[in-house]
Amino acid sequence: MSGRFTVDRRSALAIAASTALLPLGLRNDAAAAPLPAKESALRLGRDQPFNTKWRFLRGEAQGLERPGFDDRNWRVVDLPHDWSIEDVPDGTPPDQLGPFDKNAAGRTATGFAVGGEGWYRKHFRIDGIPDDARVEVVFDGIYLESALWLNGQPLARNVGGYSPFAVDLTPHLRRGGDNVLAVRVQNSGRNSRWYSGSGIYREVRVDVVPSGTRLERWGVGAWTRRISAGRAEIDVVTAIVAADPTMMLVTRLREPSGRIVAEASGLAGEEARQTLSVRSPRLWSPESPTLYTLESELHRGSTVIDRMAQAFGIRTVGFDSKLGMTINGTRTVLRGGCIHHDNGLLGACAFRDADERRIRLLKERGFNAVRSAHNIASRSLREACDRLGMLLIDEAFDIWHVEKLPQDFSVRFGEHWHDVIQSMVLPARNSPSVVMWSIGNEVPQRATDEGVEWAWKLSNAIKRLDQTRPVTAGVNGLLGAPMVATAGTARPGFAGRRDNASTIFLDVPGYNYRLEDIEPERAEHPERTVYASETFPADASDYARLAERVPYFLGEFVWTAMDYLGEAGLGAATNISVGGVAYNLPSWPWVNAWCGDIDLIGNQKAPSRYRDVVWGLSRLEMAVQRPVPEGKIESVSNWGWSDELQSWTWPGSEGKELAVRVYTSGDRIELLLNGVKMGERVLFPGDKMRAELKVAYAQGVLEAVVYRSGAVIARKSLATVGSAAKLRLMPERRLAGSDRQALHFIDLQVLDAAGRLRQDDKVSVRLQVDGPADLIGFGSANPFAVGSFQASQAQTFHGRALAILRARGTKGPVRLTATAGGMAPASTIVQLG
Amino acid sequence: MDAPLYPPATSFVQPERVAYRISTRNTPIAELMKIPSAWAIITEEVPNIDARLSVPMLKPHLGNFSLRSLVQFGFAKPEQLDRADARLLQLGDIK
Repeated sequence: MSGRFTVDRRSALAIAASTALLPLGLRNDAAAAPLPAKESALRLGRDQPFNTKWRFLRGEAQGLERPGFDDRNWRVVDLPHDWSIEDVPDGTPPDQLGPFDKNAAGRTATGFAVGGEGWYRKHFRIDGIPDDARVEVVFDGIYLESALWLNGQPLARNVGGYSPFAVDLTPHLRRGGDNVLAVRVQNSGRNSRWYSGSGIYREVRVDVVPSGTRLERWGVGAWTRRISAGRAEIDVVTAIVAADPTMMLVTRLREPSGRIVAEASGLAGEEARQTLSVRSPRLWSPESPTLYTLESELHRGSTVIDRMAQAFGIRTVGFDSKLGMTINGTRTVLRGGCIHHDNGLLGACAFRDADERRIRLLKERGFNAVRSAHNIASRSLREACDRLGMLLIDEAFDIWHVEKLPQDFSVRFGEHWHDVIQSMVLPARNSPSVVMWSIGNEVPQRATDEGVEWAWKLSNAIKRLDQTRPVTAGVNGLLGAPMVATAGTARPGFAGRRDNASTIFLDVPGYNYRLEDIEPERAEHPERTVYASETFPADASDYARLAERVPYFLGEFVWTAMDYLGEAGLGAATNISVGGVAYNLPSWPWVNAWCGDIDLIGNQKAPSRYRDVVWGLSRLEMAVQRPVPEGKIESVSNWGWSDELQSWTWPGSEGKELAVRVYTSGDRIELLLNGVKMGERVLFPGDKMRAELKVAYAQGVLEAVVYRSGAVIARKSLATVGSAAKLRLMPERRLAGSDRQALHFIDLQVLDAAGRLRQDDKVSVRLQVDGPADLIGFGSANPFAVGSFQASQAQTFHGRALAILRARGTKGPVRLTATAGGMAPASTIVQLG
Repeated sequence: MDAPLYPPATSFVQPERVAYRISTRNTPIAELMKIPSAWAIITEEVPNIDARLSVPMLKPHLGNFSLRSLVQFGFAKPEQLDRADARLLQLGDIK
């Protein structure tokens, strides 16, 4: 092939086939479609999957990067992959249970998960691409420190465990033979306050692009400048490598149907600025997340030499102390949740289907925002937010220059902070879901002179890359000394105004657990617009009422929306002796935080049901506190919730008074047991939509009837269930994808003979899979280590478990069968196609 | 409607601290420790406070928390801090 890099029709089709969101011939929902997952031979084009058939070794040795090294005995893995969620090699109970080790370096912080060193090797060929093409591999995230070699030649190192990064393979490529990309990953010491996972835990892609003039990686920045008179004006800045003024840059916007709604063309300068004007735009919002496709093309004459396509949402977001947060001019209260990055039983693996499921589950519970605590969100999570209409605060750091843990990112911060900022902002700046950039969370010594200077550097580094979103941070405790910045240093309009050390360079401060401070500080700082970046679940009503009352408070982000691995036992509820010290320090075998509204496998916990009532999703929820032994009282962490279940099955408690908790938007509650009135309560605003009544336990049906202004508005009952009799398998989807990135989630339940859930059962269940799928996750929401997350046998918790299947790449039915001693088995079929 | 912009600042000059009345409620522990006259008052009113604050886990957070916020964890008694605040008030405004 000649050295001339041109695109003929065949190659253009190849680009179209391998590039996300291209317009031609795609379905009407092209912009919302997921990226292609099927992997084939590399060819010209961007965003080609590079995830299958990596060879993996858990351990360390010399010379593993050499191209001639015999890796045939290594395990074959398909990315994303996290070795920390695999069973501890040669682990022995009781100190090693599944992936957890009582002696792990990270202790409770990482949920007793094990790090260490691992190696990946990927063999590939590039026979089908032009000789002068540039080949880049793009990692969305490797935890923690990685070193890369191609064909034995050192390529790059990366230290940001959540940072996407690209590496140019071109100089060391073998054009006509086997290429070996070797990646060493090290996750050592006490470097994380939560479960991080280990390895190449996010997807990898390859771009094959022109070696000369081309679109710069993450070089297209677009934003909605104005929406007015039925028209949207969108400014687009495009960075071009080795700009050639004889070339043309064509930028266009396609609506979801594929129709072009705006187009601009001009000379392809180093930094080309264009404006797209869209008549009657369909706006993006949490309620209606319409995605367009933004296309950028470089033309030499009639030939397209490079092309990029990405999702884009037309929307404006404003923050104002008198109007609150507005999206397209409409006030939107943040109903947010903090989430860590793990996907429960899958560990850190950022499967698109798993990330999408998390966002979908939270949308179903009324959340409209998530805070990616405390790291850069995966591309898959962010794109799920774009598609499903979930607002996102993307966060760069948990620490700056002063450590929280001995080997955390503070040891790399001084040298690499700017890399992290760039890797957060540039890939994500066109995502409509991203509404704020966070520079940190509860950062130590942020209020010292050095800390204040770091805040300035970080904030302004972001603004030099993206001026369209405010900078925030999660600030706990005190805001620091009052201080004043001069013009040139201050945020525009804030020169000479008194602020605080922790907030002076934040456009929209986030407050962690500062509920009582928000209104009192208004008198001194009427200019501030704030939100609660972390909250306790029990305060849901207070935050909701505050957001209704004052516009300068934007809403809350509960800690946390979903359970996560690590910070083990943060939300523990434990029984302590009466008169004892209410001080709880969970340790082994706690492995998950147990502070989520939603549990580790996706089911609602008690605080979520309370939130359903507070946010208006339900008028009535009822639960019963697990009986507390004589001489004990329950001690509940601020992040936790009392141990209560939607159950009226408490054998052994006959005749004892149980605490029945009722959450309701009504003003009067009646409780009936087997039709007999057992109690009544009137609710006042100070009750914050919750009440407790004591009822002596007897088998039967407990019913709550709720009134408002004398009229019944809701009823709910709990019935005593029979003994465990059978299992049930419930796929979340009957028909689903068959490519290697496709996952299928199947809920397993323990039922009585009448088909009612056994809310408190721990039953050992075995699964069998028949068909073209692998069982990659099986386990429960149990916050204690009980065993493997990847074996075919697991124990239910609260009567439930979750099975996760990964398609093998072929279509067809998959039968899943569950068996347990003394119970009728269950089976279900998922159709892959 | 026009979308808002958040343009970058041009250069950094250390912001000037404004003098204020320090207290165990509004001043980070690390700040109090840096003011010898203030910390002398604290250590007189709350004996052994230095030892209590030397816990490694606590160290990163001393710049973000007040002494008053640690009362719930038994680091000091409210009446001790009340006495300390009365004496800190005598120090006047401090930068």
